[in-house]
Amino acid sequence: MTEGRLDDDDVRDAAQSPRIEPCVPDAGCERLRVEVREFLAESLSGYPAAARARHWSAADPAFSRKLGERGWIGMTWPRRFGGHERSQLERYVVLEELLAAGAPVAAHWTADRQSGPLLIRYARPTLAARIVPGIARGETYFCIGLSESDTGSDLASVRTRATKTAGGWLLDGAKLWTTGAHRAHYMIALARTAARSESRHAGLSQFLVDMKAPGVRVRPIRNQADEHDFNEVSFERVELPDECLIGTEGEGWAQAATELAFERSGPERYLSGMRLMLEMLDASSTDDARARVALGRLVAHYATLRQMSLGVAGLLARGEDPALAAAIVKDLGASLEQSLPEVAHELFGGSMPVGSTLAEVAAYITRAAPSFSLRGGTREILRGIVARGLGLR
Amino acid sequence: MSAASVPPGESRAVQHDARDDSLRAEIERSVQRIFDENVDAAAFAEVERGEWPQRLWRVAVDAGFAAAPARAAHAGIEASWADAWPILHGIGFWQVPLPLAETMIGAMLLSMADAVVPEGPIALVDDACGGVRLDRAPGEPTLTGQASRVPWARHCRWALVSIRDPGPGGLALVELKQGERVRIVAGANLAGEPCDELAFADARCALRIDSPLPALDAPLRHLAAMARSAAIAGALDSLLAQSVRYAGERVQFGRPIGNFQAIQHALALLAGETVAARTAALVAAGSAPSIASAGASAAFDIAVAKLRCSEAASRGAPIAHQVHGAIGFTREHPLHRATCRLWSWRDEYGSDAHWAEQLGREAIGAGSQEFWPALTRRRFGGR
Repeated sequence: MTEGRLDDDDVRDAAQSPRIEPCVPDAGCERLRVEVREFLAESLSGYPAAARARHWSAADPAFSRKLGERGWIGMTWPRRFGGHERSQLERYVVLEELLAAGAPVAAHWTADRQSGPLLIRYARPTLAARIVPGIARGETYFCIGLSESDTGSDLASVRTRATKTAGGWLLDGAKLWTTGAHRAHYMIALARTAARSESRHAGLSQFLVDMKAPGVRVRPIRNQADEHDFNEVSFERVELPDECLIGTEGEGWAQAATELAFERSGPERYLSGMRLMLEMLDASSTDDARARVALGRLVAHYATLRQMSLGVAGLLARGEDPALAAAIVKDLGASLEQSLPEVAHELFGGSMPVGSTLAEVAAYITRAAPSFSLRGGTREILRGIVARGLGLR
Repeated sequence: MSAASVPPGESRAVQHDARDDSLRAEIERSVQRIFDENVDAAAFAEVERGEWPQRLWRVAVDAGFAAAPARAAHAGIEASWADAWPILHGIGFWQVPLPLAETMIGAMLLSMADAVVPEGPIALVDDACGGVRLDRAPGEPTLTGQASRVPWARHCRWALVSIRDPGPGGLALVELKQGERVRIVAGANLAGEPCDELAFADARCALRIDSPLPALDAPLRHLAAMARSAAIAGALDSLLAQSVRYAGERVQFGRPIGNFQAIQHALALLAGETVAARTAALVAAGSAPSIASAGASAAFDIAVAKLRCSEAASRGAPIAHQVHGAIGFTREHPLHRATCRLWSWRDEYGSDAHWAEQLGREAIGAGSQEFWPALTRRRFGGR
């Protein structure tokens, strides 16, 4: 085809856009929602708004254990791994209620979201049976060792290396920006097990690393919101038994990609900063036309992202690949959340009373927001995934 | 997800919003065939010359589209709006130059009120178009007032008019061909489709009904906004398909421009807006009231959909133009049919500001404690 000769038949033959089908949680899910709300109203009563804004990095092992007792961690996993064999939509309802309430979920979140499913899928059954039930009880926590000092979006460039020994592997190197490493019991680390070859993605493998093993060192890094959330983790001749190789040697890249699809498919990508929306609602008057329009637009974005996020849970429930839809939802979700401090600035900039909850929450979200389009896959990586889905790469 | 992590009975909590997938699928096949074969350059040329595209209208009526949501007694098939989604979306995807959605809405409202559904296209006169009041002076009731920017009015013999009398859902059926009593000044939207001014002066009113849809206090505006949302989603789907295809074929610097990361990321953004619009519009179509369903969350879902779809139109159309370069800016290329309609449709039946004001007022009134419960219930207020 030359330019200008695009006739209608050409248009109709072209690829369809990615699809998300709306999904309606059934009555059982809605009963579960009521149960979760009652639990949260009781267990979080008196928990201040400013703390709820920081829920994302707030770890509270006692709270995590309580969730485990209620059966709200590892909800979809098989019973033999301590799971509860509930549906993806039931799990979705619990997650969105926890996030919307600003519950302190950081301790167990990563393990529930991605490490547990990864171990169930790829680890030796004996290893998974030993470790996964602790996750479901809310007692065992994980961190994810992907990024390094010279490895950010370009994951294939990792230099942490595992060398085969008689009974296992020796791990050397360092991971950077590792969220929650200081409270995690284990890390799932991506390491090079073969020299770089023509295929950049070959020769990488995933390992389970006991954070208490000799040679593992965790150094805190404070972020610009003045939190200790991420860390540098170094490995010096860390001995790993054979069973700690997760999945197949050399297949670590594909396994990590699956894991990242889990990481991106949840509602946290649009529900990390909702506290600021709530504070703006309470600080606004229905007489203020500017506030009505600005906040009304945000309502439409929240409502649409919730439906999209629910649609991704529906894809997971039907066993379909959520990667493309999840990348779109995460990109739009991060953009929504990053617009919140901008709206707060426009409506209240310079006039927030010092010490008010609005001022405190806005100060926190404004400084935390840049991370929303960095963690779990940068905006640029996500748009690359979408472009590939459109057939452009 | 692996078999290992998907327990048996996984899908038990999953329901599709489509009540009757088979009816929707049947309508979808029909829409594909009818619009694909008949929405052609000749039809667009007729409309742009100011003529009524009679042949295309006849085809759409004969296919059963215009009466689909009406009762069987009125030649309809009692389709829900979720069933009729392929028609509403197709109007945008093929940029069908007809008041088809308006006629479907008019036919359903009249049919539900057990009124005779008139032949021919029906225009919708919402309060957002202006103000028309009912004069209850002795003798027959008449209408007086102005309405601006009424889509397709000059080609419609009948209009359904919002009169907010006796209550918010009050509607009147008015014949538009009654001489000086209804004056029509021709106008056009950005795509060259009729969009006319109406002046009613003691216009005879053929029929007054109360809206059969208690869930909506402005039934014409809500249903038309739902239909425009679906059309916007359809037009964006068409823009995305055209843009992805063009980016794969247009070669500059020795390679297809779709190989450049800047173009890839622009198209990824367009895809995101398209999926967001489609999701919001599908949810609104799924809950809009019809003969088959009452639509408890319709007012909220429709406000959300029209606002989100309008924003997606505003963000999406410039991307499609940027990717197409100069050729997409020509009269010859079909791109403008979609982009100019998007810029018109975002204004029609409630602009962004209209729906944002409404959602914002409700959300601020409800406060922080009610925000999340309202999002999950898809309704401010109520239980």
